[in-house]
Amino acid sequence: MTVAAVHGGGIADHIHPEPQSFIRRYIFSIDHKIIGIQYIITGFVFLVLSGMLAELIRVQLMHANGGLVSNDTYNEIYSVHGSAMVWLVIIPLVTGGFGNFVMPLQIGARDVAFPWLNMLSFWMFPVAGLMLFSSFLIGAPVAGWTEYPPMSLQAGPGTSMWCAAIFLIGVSSTLTGINFLVTILKMRAPGMTFTRMPLFVWAQLATAPLSMVATTALAAALAALFIERQFGVPFYDPTKGGSPILWQHMFWFYSHPAVYIMILPAFGIISEVLPTFSRKPIFGYKMIAFSSVAIALAGFMVWAHHMFTSGLAPFLQLPFMILTFVIGVPTGIKIFSWMATLWGGKIHFTSSMLFAIGFLALFTFGGITGILLAAVPFDFHVHGTYFVVAHFHYVLVGGSLMGIFAGTYYWFPKMTGRLMNEFWGRLHFWLFFIGFNGTFLPMHWLGILGMPRRVPVYDPQFQGWNQFESIMSFVMTLGILIFFANLLVSIRNGKKGGANPWNARTLEWQIPSPPHYYNFKNIPAVYALPYDFSEPLPYTGLENELTDSPAPATAGAH
Amino acid sequence: MAVATLPHAQTADHGEVDRLYAETRDLRLNGFLLFLVSDVVLFSSFIFAYLYMRNTGQGWPPPGINRLDVAFAALNSVVLFGSGATMHYALENWKHGNFGRYAGLMVATIVLGAMFLCGQGYEYTTLYFREHVSWAGSGIFGASFFTLTGMHGFHVFVGVWYLTVLLLQSVHGVYTKQKYFGLTAGTLYWHFVDVIWVVLFSIFYLI
Repeated sequence: MTVAAVHGGGIADHIHPEPQSFIRRYIFSIDHKIIGIQYIITGFVFLVLSGMLAELIRVQLMHANGGLVSNDTYNEIYSVHGSAMVWLVIIPLVTGGFGNFVMPLQIGARDVAFPWLNMLSFWMFPVAGLMLFSSFLIGAPVAGWTEYPPMSLQAGPGTSMWCAAIFLIGVSSTLTGINFLVTILKMRAPGMTFTRMPLFVWAQLATAPLSMVATTALAAALAALFIERQFGVPFYDPTKGGSPILWQHMFWFYSHPAVYIMILPAFGIISEVLPTFSRKPIFGYKMIAFSSVAIALAGFMVWAHHMFTSGLAPFLQLPFMILTFVIGVPTGIKIFSWMATLWGGKIHFTSSMLFAIGFLALFTFGGITGILLAAVPFDFHVHGTYFVVAHFHYVLVGGSLMGIFAGTYYWFPKMTGRLMNEFWGRLHFWLFFIGFNGTFLPMHWLGILGMPRRVPVYDPQFQGWNQFESIMSFVMTLGILIFFANLLVSIRNGKKGGANPWNARTLEWQIPSPPHYYNFKNIPAVYALPYDFSEPLPYTGLENELTDSPAPATAGAH
Repeated sequence: MAVATLPHAQTADHGEVDRLYAETRDLRLNGFLLFLVSDVVLFSSFIFAYLYMRNTGQGWPPPGINRLDVAFAALNSVVLFGSGATMHYALENWKHGNFGRYAGLMVATIVLGAMFLCGQGYEYTTLYFREHVSWAGSGIFGASFFTLTGMHGFHVFVGVWYLTVLLLQSVHGVYTKQKYFGLTAGTLYWHFVDVIWVVLFSIFYLI
């Protein structure tokens, strides 16, 4: 086939010619690998910013009477901290970041289905982030990341800015979901049937429809909030016939699936890291794969468990409680399969593996408190207390963020060709793990004792534990700073890793690090699962990848 | 890198695999369908909001507001559904190479779409000036009615321009008898707008 036929006909967009100018190559790139790295860098920048907000919260809570910032400013800080961590850090990192970089490589594709759309999705992300953070200049949102009306209707202009920013990042997320879904369904290498896909790809496949469907529902809720704030059209204001509960339904119909948008790709990362460093086939491949889909489907039917105390009719409480318990089953299947993968394996305690094992412990803990919170009587007692804060930090930081760290140590050599330093990596893990538990474990009992969340001052009897938490949060922050230092130094000075430093078996490790622009000289054929460590690699057509043989004709054109 | 031979490995010509892989991939239709799915969700969320508010208020329409004019809206719906039919036959004629009929039917679709928009404009002005029902001033009735039908009207408006662009493109030879993705997408979009209107008409005018 001639080059002209490929580009003239508009088909096969994914084999686009390699751009030569710096701007088209690294700034407005349509290459999924560059876009993935752009997402990761931007996400980490926002991680630093919202981490600083978190430390402001902890410094304020050092003393029962507060004193660092005013009460209004405190509201702004935790609202932006929560919004930024969810929409600007975790979701873009696990889907746009690792999803973009790793998924096309793992399915043997040269790019995602719509590379140009991918670039558009990425560039909405920093713009939305700047909008969210610049809302501080005009009075940031104050009603928490959930922005319940009527408070969000009464707050200053920053809340409208928040609506616009989250709407924009939502559009980005929807487009990424469409892009990934088409890519995974249609662009797998020959022979890669559904039950031969790596588990990270399965996780992205389960996540993409969530990003696509749930985020659009959020867009509707945000549009209505924006319209009501700007034009006075009543949706949520009870004095004009609207309903604040309506917002909660629409918001949680998105935000509960969003919890799985944040955790499913992290599950995928863990499912790659554990077998590689146990040198053992993953236990229960199909169960792990299908349970992701089960979680994604069930995730749409449990949103009202966030609303037990909002006046939800009692006959609705029971089904939502039971359905939420049911989600524990596929999640438990995953946990047990991962533990069985470790069982009898030859475990290599690399930094990546430490984070994966830490993930297992912390996510399981957070999952169990989630089951407790789903029980209506218990939820009535602890709703709106620090118990809830402890729960979601265990699943989002102990779960998703630990997964992100595991993935960073694991795929950094593929992105840069160099390894991250193992000593500093382990130090990062231990500081982070100890600091994290020290910060969030005491919140469980503070919550049960009745310390409410989202307050700048609190009962002096809780001061001792709060001071302990704040000090431990500095330890956690120190760990993260070591991580960033390690990351920056390793880009230039890390040990050379070669194509496959971990002896991993998925497709991305069979090509050079960093991969060529066109990823694969020849699209390989796939014959089996990538996890059977004792068998020969189940691919053919990769013979030329690590040699000097010429690139495919389509990729080298102008 | 050395790859041990698998017992089940076949000796495929990889140039051939590569070529097939590149040639069989026109994925725009898949992407466009998924975009329509996400648009359905957007409408569904607002429809959920409308039904939710409707069922928590005191009766519908709320006290002080008259029922909507079903007869006029039904007539206007016929115009829109008619445009769906002309759109369908426009694409069929394109596939069979009847360019003249295709162009005529496309013009008919665009005109009918514009007529629907004019009808909606007439309905809005009647509501506003005669019944004093407005977007922000009539409680949840005005909020839900104008937001949902306005969103739909905006989709029709975009569709009218989209079809106009497609018609101009096809006049300039962008599409061939074999390759006409834009026309397929335009048809799908137009049918999507029709189907949404079936739902909106039912829930606002009939129940």
